[in-house]
Amino acid sequence: MDKVKIKIDGQQMEVDDGTYVLEAAKSISIEIPTLCYYPYMVPYAACRICSVEARSASGWSKIVTACNYPVWNGLEILTNTPRVINARRTNLEMLMASCAPVPVLQHLAEQLGITEPRWGTDKHTCILCGLCVRICDEIVGAHALAFVDRGANRDVSTPFQLDSESCILCGACAKHCPTGYIKMEEIEKRFIVHQEMNLSPNAAITLPFRQAVPNVPQIVRENCIHFKTGGCMVCSKVCPKDCIDYEDSPKSEEVEVGAVVIATGFDSFDPTPMKQYGYGKYPNVISSEEFEVMNNAAGPTGGKIVMENGEEPRAIAILHCIGSRDHDYHKYCSRVCCMYSLKFSHLVKEKTSAEVYQLYIDMRSFGKGYEEFYGRILDEGVNVIRGKAAEVVPSGYRQHEEGHLIVRCEDTLIGKYREIPVDMVILSTALEARRDAKEFGRKFNISTGADGWFIEAHPKLAPVSTTTEGIFLAGACQGAKDIPDAVAQGGAAAAQAMKLMAQGEVMMDAAYAVIDEAFCSGCKMCNDMCPYTAISFDDAKKVSVVNSALCKGCGTCVAACPAGAIMARHFTDEQIYAQIEGILA
Amino acid sequence: MSTNRLNSPAELAALKQRLEKNRNANKTVVTVCAGTGCMACGCEAVLKTFHEERKKDRLENEVEIKATGCHGFCERGPLVVVHPSGVFYQRVKPADAKLIWEQTVKGGQLVNKLLYRDPQSNEIIKHEKDIPFYKRQMRIIFGKNGFMDPTAINDYILLGGYLALATALTKMTSEQIIGDVKKSGLRGRGGGGFLTGKKWATCRAVKVDPKYVICNADEGDPGAFMDRSLLEGNPHQVIEGMIIGAYAIGSHEGFVYVRNEYPLAVKNLTVAIKAARDYGLLGENILGTGFNFDIVISRGGGAFVCGESTALMASLEGKVGEPRAKYIHTVESGLWDKPSNLNNVETWANVPLIIERGADWFASIGTENSKGTKVFALTGRVNNTGLVEVPMGITLREILYDIGGGAPRGKRFKAVQTGGPSGGMLIVEEAQPKSHGSPVAHGDIRNENEAVNLLDLPVDFDELTRVGSMMGSGGMIVMDEDSCMVDVARYFIHFLTEESCGKCLPCREGLVTMLSVLRKISAGKGTMEDIKYLEELSQVIIDTSLCQLGGSAPNPVLSALRYFRQEFLAHVVDKRCPAGVCKDLVSHAIDNTCNGCHACLKSCPTSAIVGEPKRLHYVIQDKCIQCGACYQICRYNSIKRVKRGEGDKLQERAREQWRPPLKKVTAEVS
Repeated sequence: MDKVKIKIDGQQMEVDDGTYVLEAAKSISIEIPTLCYYPYMVPYAACRICSVEARSASGWSKIVTACNYPVWNGLEILTNTPRVINARRTNLEMLMASCAPVPVLQHLAEQLGITEPRWGTDKHTCILCGLCVRICDEIVGAHALAFVDRGANRDVSTPFQLDSESCILCGACAKHCPTGYIKMEEIEKRFIVHQEMNLSPNAAITLPFRQAVPNVPQIVRENCIHFKTGGCMVCSKVCPKDCIDYEDSPKSEEVEVGAVVIATGFDSFDPTPMKQYGYGKYPNVISSEEFEVMNNAAGPTGGKIVMENGEEPRAIAILHCIGSRDHDYHKYCSRVCCMYSLKFSHLVKEKTSAEVYQLYIDMRSFGKGYEEFYGRILDEGVNVIRGKAAEVVPSGYRQHEEGHLIVRCEDTLIGKYREIPVDMVILSTALEARRDAKEFGRKFNISTGADGWFIEAHPKLAPVSTTTEGIFLAGACQGAKDIPDAVAQGGAAAAQAMKLMAQGEVMMDAAYAVIDEAFCSGCKMCNDMCPYTAISFDDAKKVSVVNSALCKGCGTCVAACPAGAIMARHFTDEQIYAQIEGILA
Repeated sequence: MSTNRLNSPAELAALKQRLEKNRNANKTVVTVCAGTGCMACGCEAVLKTFHEERKKDRLENEVEIKATGCHGFCERGPLVVVHPSGVFYQRVKPADAKLIWEQTVKGGQLVNKLLYRDPQSNEIIKHEKDIPFYKRQMRIIFGKNGFMDPTAINDYILLGGYLALATALTKMTSEQIIGDVKKSGLRGRGGGGFLTGKKWATCRAVKVDPKYVICNADEGDPGAFMDRSLLEGNPHQVIEGMIIGAYAIGSHEGFVYVRNEYPLAVKNLTVAIKAARDYGLLGENILGTGFNFDIVISRGGGAFVCGESTALMASLEGKVGEPRAKYIHTVESGLWDKPSNLNNVETWANVPLIIERGADWFASIGTENSKGTKVFALTGRVNNTGLVEVPMGITLREILYDIGGGAPRGKRFKAVQTGGPSGGMLIVEEAQPKSHGSPVAHGDIRNENEAVNLLDLPVDFDELTRVGSMMGSGGMIVMDEDSCMVDVARYFIHFLTEESCGKCLPCREGLVTMLSVLRKISAGKGTMEDIKYLEELSQVIIDTSLCQLGGSAPNPVLSALRYFRQEFLAHVVDKRCPAGVCKDLVSHAIDNTCNGCHACLKSCPTSAIVGEPKRLHYVIQDKCIQCGACYQICRYNSIKRVKRGEGDKLQERAREQWRPPLKKVTAEVS
């Protein structure tokens, strides 16, 4: 690119030939006002607010628009002469004559010294800057908007002013409209749908959540314009370090390790099969996870607790043990729900003026400060009812004025049947093992119990190890637990793993199997049979080999080998015969 | 492959020779002008009559009937010229056609009542070339129209058509052609007046392919119809010019962007293109030289702004006709971002002449900086309206008086508007008023002996720009003392508000603001501030508009303020419209010269005029809606358009004398 020498407001500078005046001025911090300019699109030059005076050495001068006037060698630009200011001011006054006094125009008016526009103002909010049309055309590529009609009747519209089918609902037009003429409107008119909440609604580039590691944004393909229309790609133009890679996709890597810590967590119980609670059927019946999302300040409602129609609830019922301690679903207690339910009621009391009802079987506040917290909750005026809720019904059933839902239960402490009118019901759902836990465990040769959680080597003495050497467990995958316990367990598992790695030497059981190469025929029967995957096949020698570190001396391979090539050390046939002879003697 | 194909310049020359040989120079040819103007006057019925008569008399082989392109004297249409005598008949009706057939074609006699009679000398003039309207013109382009059927390519070849093309393709290089065009000094005839040779050279120098040549036939100026008549009457000359230009520039694709409101032009052009293709003059291997070039016709969608070159190219591409900034010229990056050379219809039509007759010949016509001729559409309050082709440098006086025949109905010329909505109003009032005693002359309260007029202005590009107007595409609208300059300015601004594309702020909003101010002044509510606004706004609109539609829009207003400022002041200060046009400022009244002919009474739509036959009439001021029908009809100039409210002052005697009709009284018998 050739460089040319130009002067802007007296300042000499060198820029690439063909650069537009506006960009050149920006690079030396000279601000020229604009209305219809957007840096990543072809300059439109419709508003004429960026007018500047261009002069040549030979003496001619004319008014040009800075956004699309290419520089040439010897050009002189003046951005603030009386002629320029007058041009900008008159243009703005004419614009204000047909538009409403929106903030962006007021701001410019102040800058140019207009206190009273000479031709008054009107009601139209569109300033015909064309940003919406051009973004939809050039960057988004959906072509859903265009200018219609001519001259003073020019307007922005969709074809025939009907809802456009090409619109991909990206919201770019609304985002860039400087006056708010374009708004995004909910098509279905439901304010929020609790079950469909996620932490960041429509943004295409988001941090997965605040505490994500690594703490870098990612592109959400479902919302990204580029993956819908092939256009945009503004992020890659803006990124100073060139970090955007649209072709990136999940890759798999093979890593050789000696120890694995399994911390795959839990799933939330889906209360839909429990028809009596109406989850998924009645609005405002939500699970605890959904309530957490709504409560999060970085969430879709900004932390406000609202019903689906957007109003604040007047009364909330929190139902304990949904899916836990239940003969039909999970017999175990999920351990954490009582405490988080109390936490919910505390948050509700803090953020709203709603009544809170806790319907529990037992209040399990077992840990450090937990019982004290329970007492505090009671002091806050939360209504605790001992009795698992029987049913949630919509309140039209009984024409109650307060509350859209009715919770039916037996209050066992007073021995009465109660019907409690509420606006929202939170179901404290059980923690359950991951759906694929069993299959997943098979890969590591660890098994799951009847309750679905992974089985530890010993419930008291080896809670983080498994029967497979080198595989450790941490967190809720081993059993429902809360955060302090999970963290502690994680540390323990890490310590065990480090112990393994730091040993250098490993002390093992002396009883392990050995394969005699001379007799091994390479049939590989033992390879698959070993429950500890301790036998592998040596391709070079064409014999099987036992990894003595993994072998537990169970003897399965010894019995299975058709050639009798495998010997269990310290447990040979001869030794067994000798023992038998000794006993019989 | 057509057997008509001309595979070399030699074959073209041979064809011409053959046509000349076969032509009987003594054969009677009846040419009837079939341009759109004469069509509107009923020339088709005239043609039909001739054909019927010829069939009846079985003279198909002896007499040729030719429907030609526009002859230019549109005021006197339908026009019939009988060859070889060259007798010129005007205002021919179908019944007259019969007379012509009998008396002139068969009988060799003249039909006197159809001949042109000079209004000044009352003399009968038989031949076209002697009629003053034609005598002072230099019809190097339009002259061919009268001899050609535009749909017959052989007629054009007979007149020497396509010989320039043959010369250019075989005997000249591109550089030589461009050099010739440069030497000739030809400037764009569409309005910009840019040196054509320079434009071609710049386009040729751009090393990008493909290149396009475009013919701008989107003639949008109100009152302009030169390009229309050229395309209707002689499309081949335009085509020939485009082929020569394409060869010079290195283009192989051409477009004619013609406005959709010109169906006859589109039709004749389509026929011409097909005929040229058949002859091998368009398409592949033109005249066997290996040069390929073809033309596509593209029709406009009804927008004046599409006459602007970048908007035209956008429209050609199929997009909305919106202009873009011309900081990067279209010769470098135009249609589909490729080098595109755009010229007006008349510019292209001049090219074959330059090649054929030489650049020096062309440069000998006109003034130093404006060479050649220009076709003007002379319209408005002038006796001879129509298309006139005159050499550059001719004065307005000659056009208005010698060619135009002066002002009709004894009025005074006041202004000439050139260049359409982008041009200006030029004052052409005479120092000696040949008025008819109107109490209110011009709004211009100037010293009557001072000849402040531009009648002797030589018409050329630079002179017109110097005095605040522009050549434009050639519209020339003549106005007399009955035209109000405020009203005319308002008219042009209104036209532009409707045609503005709306993209840029100053044109879209500024013109609407100017229109509302002008309407205010016209309604008598204007202030001195308003005149200041107009001038200030005009300057900003000129400075900041994106294209020349907006950039030249204030010209009518600025030129009106320059030459007719007193008229504006009369509207603003006196609340009076001197020309009597602005309805809110005018009262129609009848003065004492009225002779009671009753004509106005009959024409008044609101029955506001009362009076007995042969006695003074007067206008009831409350009932009058200022429509002006009485003013148009009065042959004694007794209707006066005075300042609003002063009507009754003129009519005092009439009102005194007015005796209401006797009421019928029945006697009551008690």
